[in-house]
Amino acid sequence: MDTIKESGANIEEPASALLIQPVPSGAFALAGAAVALLLVAWLVMYFFTFLPRGPVG
Amino acid sequence: MAVDEISAVQNERRWALAMGGVAAVMLAAIVWAGLGLHMNPPSNIETVDPNTLHVAGEFAENNLGTHVDSAGKITTRIVTTQFAFVPECVVVPQDMQVTFRLASPDVIHGLIVVGTNVNTMVVPGFVSQVHTVFDKPGDLLMPCHEFCGLGHGQMVAHVRVVPIADFRPDGDGRVTCDN
Repeated sequence: MDTIKESGANIEEPASALLIQPVPSGAFALAGAAVALLLVAWLVMYFFTFLPRGPVG
Repeated sequence: MAVDEISAVQNERRWALAMGGVAAVMLAAIVWAGLGLHMNPPSNIETVDPNTLHVAGEFAENNLGTHVDSAGKITTRIVTTQFAFVPECVVVPQDMQVTFRLASPDVIHGLIVVGTNVNTMVVPGFVSQVHTVFDKPGDLLMPCHEFCGLGHGQMVAHVRVVPIADFRPDGDGRVTCDN
C-alpha cells in the first residue's frame, strides 16, 4: 500500500490517459448540433422578424 | 504532456474557436444592422419633472393621445402610471411614421407593442421616445413589461392601427379611439 500511495503518479498517469483517450466525439456532435440550431434560430429571427420590422430609434 | 492530453487540448481549442466564430457572426450582424440600417435601440435623453408632469405641459391629460401637428407630424403621448396607460387606447395610421412619447410619474414601467419593434422602458424623470411605422391595420396589445407593482399584470393598453383613409384628426389635430 505504501508504494502505491507514494507513487501516485504511477497510478494516475495511466488512469487519466485512459479517461481522455477516446475523443468525446459524441459530446462534441451533440453540443455542436445544439449550438448550430441556436445560431440558425437566432439568425432566422434576426433577419426575418427583427430587421423587417424596421428601426425604432 | 501526453499525446492524449494534447489531443484533448486541441479539441478544446477547436471548440473555443467555433464558439468565437458564433459570437463573431452574431456581433457582425448587429454591427452591420446598426451602422448600415440604423437599427439601434431607442435612446432619448430628455428630462421631465415626474411630480408635475400631469399638471401642465406636454403630458397634461388634455394633451395625451395621438396628435397631428400643422406640419403633419404624428405624435402619440402616453403617461404610464401604476397600473394603467393613459390613455388606454390610442389610434395611429398605417404606413406613416409615428412618434411615441412616454413619461412616468411614479415608478419604472416598460412597454412593448406586440408584433412590432416598439419596446422601451419608461423611467420617471425622463421622456422615452420611439419612432415606428405600422405596416398593417389591427388592434395591437401594448402591455407593461417592467414589473411595476401588484397591479402590473392588469396594465395593458391597445394601439389601434387604422388605414390612412380612416385616420381622421378632429379640428385640433387629435385622434382618439372614440371618434
